[in-house]
Amino acid sequence: MFTFDQLKQNDVPLRVLALGMLAGLLILLGGLWWVQIISYHRHTDNERNQSYRTVRIPAIRGKILDRDGHVLAENRPSYNVNLYLEELRPQFAEEFRRLRPMREDTNAPAWRRWLGIDTSKAVPVRLTVSQRTALNNRARFNVAARAVQQVSQVIGVEIPFTEEEFTKHFISLRALRMPIIENLDGALLARFLESTALPPSVDLEIDPLRYYPQGRTAAHLVGYLVKDTDSKRDEVSDVTYRLTDYRGNLGLERVFDQELRGRAGVKAVLVNNLGYREAENIWYPNEPGKNLMLTLDLPLQQAAEEALYREVGPDAAGAIIVMDANNGDLYALASAPAYDPNDFIPRISNEKMAAYHDEKTKPMRNRATQENYRPGSVFKIVTALAGLQSGVINERNIHEPFYSPKYIMVGNARFEDEAPIGDYTFERAFIKSSNTYFIHYGLEAGFAAMQRAGMELQFGQSMSLPTRQNNAGNFPTPEWIEQMKVNQGLRWLDGDTANLCIGQGYLDVTPLQVAVMIAAVANGGTIVQPRLVDRIVAQPGLDDDPGPRVMPYETRGRAEFAPEHFALVRKAMRADVANVAPGPNQGTGWRAEVPGMNICAKTGTAENKRPGSSRVDRKDVWFASFAPYEDPKYVVIVMVEGGVFGGTTAAPVAKKIYQAIQKREQSGEFPARQRLVQR
Amino acid sequence: MTFENSTNKERLGSIEWLLLLATVCLVVIGVAFISSARSPAEMAEDYSLFRQFYFKQLLFAGLGLSAALIVNLLDYHTLARWSLVFYWACIGLLLLVPLIGVSAGGATRWLNLGLFNFQPSELTKLAFIFMLASFLARPDQELRTVGNFWKAIGMMVLPFLIILKEPDLGSALIFIPVGLVMMFVGNIPPRYLAKLMGGAALLIALVLVDVLFAPKGYQFIQLETYQKQRLMVYFGLDFAPDNATEAERRAARQLQEEKSYQVRQALITVGSGGVWGKGWRQGNQTLKGYLPPGAAHNDFIFSVIAEQKGFIGSATVLVLYGVILFTGIRIASQARDRLGKLLAVGVVTLVFSHVFINIGMNIRLMPVTGVPLPLLSYGGTSVIVSLLAIGVLHNVHLYRRAY
Repeated sequence: MFTFDQLKQNDVPLRVLALGMLAGLLILLGGLWWVQIISYHRHTDNERNQSYRTVRIPAIRGKILDRDGHVLAENRPSYNVNLYLEELRPQFAEEFRRLRPMREDTNAPAWRRWLGIDTSKAVPVRLTVSQRTALNNRARFNVAARAVQQVSQVIGVEIPFTEEEFTKHFISLRALRMPIIENLDGALLARFLESTALPPSVDLEIDPLRYYPQGRTAAHLVGYLVKDTDSKRDEVSDVTYRLTDYRGNLGLERVFDQELRGRAGVKAVLVNNLGYREAENIWYPNEPGKNLMLTLDLPLQQAAEEALYREVGPDAAGAIIVMDANNGDLYALASAPAYDPNDFIPRISNEKMAAYHDEKTKPMRNRATQENYRPGSVFKIVTALAGLQSGVINERNIHEPFYSPKYIMVGNARFEDEAPIGDYTFERAFIKSSNTYFIHYGLEAGFAAMQRAGMELQFGQSMSLPTRQNNAGNFPTPEWIEQMKVNQGLRWLDGDTANLCIGQGYLDVTPLQVAVMIAAVANGGTIVQPRLVDRIVAQPGLDDDPGPRVMPYETRGRAEFAPEHFALVRKAMRADVANVAPGPNQGTGWRAEVPGMNICAKTGTAENKRPGSSRVDRKDVWFASFAPYEDPKYVVIVMVEGGVFGGTTAAPVAKKIYQAIQKREQSGEFPARQRLVQR
Repeated sequence: MTFENSTNKERLGSIEWLLLLATVCLVVIGVAFISSARSPAEMAEDYSLFRQFYFKQLLFAGLGLSAALIVNLLDYHTLARWSLVFYWACIGLLLLVPLIGVSAGGATRWLNLGLFNFQPSELTKLAFIFMLASFLARPDQELRTVGNFWKAIGMMVLPFLIILKEPDLGSALIFIPVGLVMMFVGNIPPRYLAKLMGGAALLIALVLVDVLFAPKGYQFIQLETYQKQRLMVYFGLDFAPDNATEAERRAARQLQEEKSYQVRQALITVGSGGVWGKGWRQGNQTLKGYLPPGAAHNDFIFSVIAEQKGFIGSATVLVLYGVILFTGIRIASQARDRLGKLLAVGVVTLVFSHVFINIGMNIRLMPVTGVPLPLLSYGGTSVIVSLLAIGVLHNVHLYRRAY
């Protein structure tokens, strides 16, 4: 080293000094090596932890659309006024200085007093830490409240703003903007935008908010959202803050939540040493959710719901299904009463929540798929098929008159008949809905034949609609009977079979099961899988769009009945509506007749009795139909709780729906996407 | 410069370019990183140029360099003749400080000169070096007397006590190594020094034990609360006494958090710089106020450099100081006489003590004391006195052959 060589050999103290300094500098260098290179990651982690707050930003939720792209659920801009705390910092300090108590300073140095210089001045009073903190809190709240007050004056609406609320935000969410008024409507928005008197710390943000433009229409299928605080998989989960996010809690919003929700991103907010926001950048961008395209036809859905409310009344309770007879596409599926999914955004009020969970009206239940009903006379279609298949109703006796005394005795039980006394052929019995006739032939065919026919048509099975609001209903299959025998000691009697023949007793169905059954009759035996979601489509403009995911058409199997038996039933169903003329052969469904549509139907009126009571509680009425007769395309099921008769309460509703279908067909293309059933 | 002409060549040494280069480099680095450290505040306040700290530092550096130049016009012997006056004038200024001084942060250390606040303790360091060098320059026989030894000690202890009272522990402590090293090099008999060092070590140990561990009522040495807390932070001691209640313990812990904050942030600032640093005027620690903005441009300027230029930058700074220090030692060894040698050694020790204490506290090797980093830290007095000191060093070099 140059210094040592040049030092005089005998100058020991200087050499010691040089060595000492060298050692000192090397210690510093070693220390720096340790801190900056060896412990670099620890310090960087610490730095990151203290200077970044991560915020989870939910992705924009996908839309739910009908088959033509009409919107059932989308996002609308919500105009929110926010307060940016970091902009207020200079004012916080100023207000603190203003509020700080002052005192006269009498403690001037002696020489100044001696010189006579007036040194009295106001100096701040020394505050304890807690006094300072309290004063700072007060100053911050005053400033924020003034800004809020200004906004309040501009838009002319009182904005509630409490110190408690502000302090909470300041302590826990300081790096984030503070919302002061959300969801401005048009007039307020205009006032806000036109004002020049707004403090700079206030700004307008547009956040997406879920919106259901159709309100109650198809609400049960669409579902609704609730606020959510969970991270989904494939997401960064340890974030400091979460912005409001929602998750589907019912229906398609729930079942397809993963697809609709997309993937949340993360942004990092750089904060300064006091926790105020300095800058933001996106660490992981969010991925918008996918759109759900349904098989529903919005005009038909609306027409169906309107028909129900018009014909039955605004308090109507019931269900309507319009389904493609050949491939199971659901054109409309309505349940009344319904709820408005908009009520859940941003959160539902307690009164509404109570109303929606009313035990009697049950607006949250999807009556088309979730509730059990007795099918009543609609089930005579099954009895007819069982009778035809077993041969007890055949070529020879089908046109022979069968005398009905307006009741029938089965064992000791007497079954009353609504149909008048008289002679009944198969068709007249069908269109007049004679209990006597169908109990007679059903018993003659035997319980086994009835059981087989019902199982062929998949009663007692869940229809697996993707909304997961499926109820399997109840059908006396051998397993069921075995179970009931073990559990409740049930012995199946002829009376039970007689009840089954007219759609009463140990039988529960959902309107969707009836729709599938009618479709099978209409299309000649194919049990279609009801289909609600047509495809899942990525948002346009994505780089790596994998293309739409089309939901496949499926069948659930075949109902093995002879084609001519189906034809006989179809013919009888046609007569039920077509025989409009008053008289002994007038069909029960005549009120539904729409010229040109050739509607085929069976009405039903099921009596609900409380267990152990003989009093009829409520009548659930049905109109189960398809059209047109020659080439069936549509299945229309109308079920109304608490109706009078199927023909009087439900048929007029169906008529309106068929008129709407006719209008849709006339106005343009309304084809089925794919036909599963070839005839 | 006229020192290079042929007539003076006989009498004068040449300019020590290496020293000059290292000094100017450090000043420039200092100005650049003061500007970086102050940028958030200055951008927010929209200061005019004359109020911006880096510009003021540049002015001080200009003043300091001019002062250093003027110092080099006269032989150090001539200067040393005034050392008595210089020393006592400084002592006088120090005594004025508590009367008319300016206070900040609980301490009174400055005199208001209008342009800037002047810190007499800084100048006193230089005056002390002159005083002690002149005193120790006498023949060896005289130095061996006990009386002269105690006189030398007295010269050291007088400013130490006055400055300690300000209070400014860091500045006061600087006098001890400077004085001891000068005595060591100045042929004070080693037996005196050994006793002195032993005594001093014992005293410091006793003081620390008393301050940190003695129960209430047995603390004979009353440090300011903040000084005691700094020492406790350095030694990692719990603020809460053993018999504290839970609430007291929580409060003590919070206080400890607050008091450790500066040290902790300095360490994060230095450590997060890594090898290459985050770049000039980059990095959150300094610019977003985690490194306390009141200290970032003066006592913690090294952290700023270390954050923004990484290990490369901080090692460069160390190398530049190394150049100054070892050039200084060479100057001392080549000095014409003992006065020159002692002056050079005094300046070198002064610079080294500042560098070691300041950088040490930035990386938690040393407790936090208000000791500036010479030439780099913002502060008028500090930069002027540092340049003046280096000017004195250069003077010894320049006049090493003069008779």
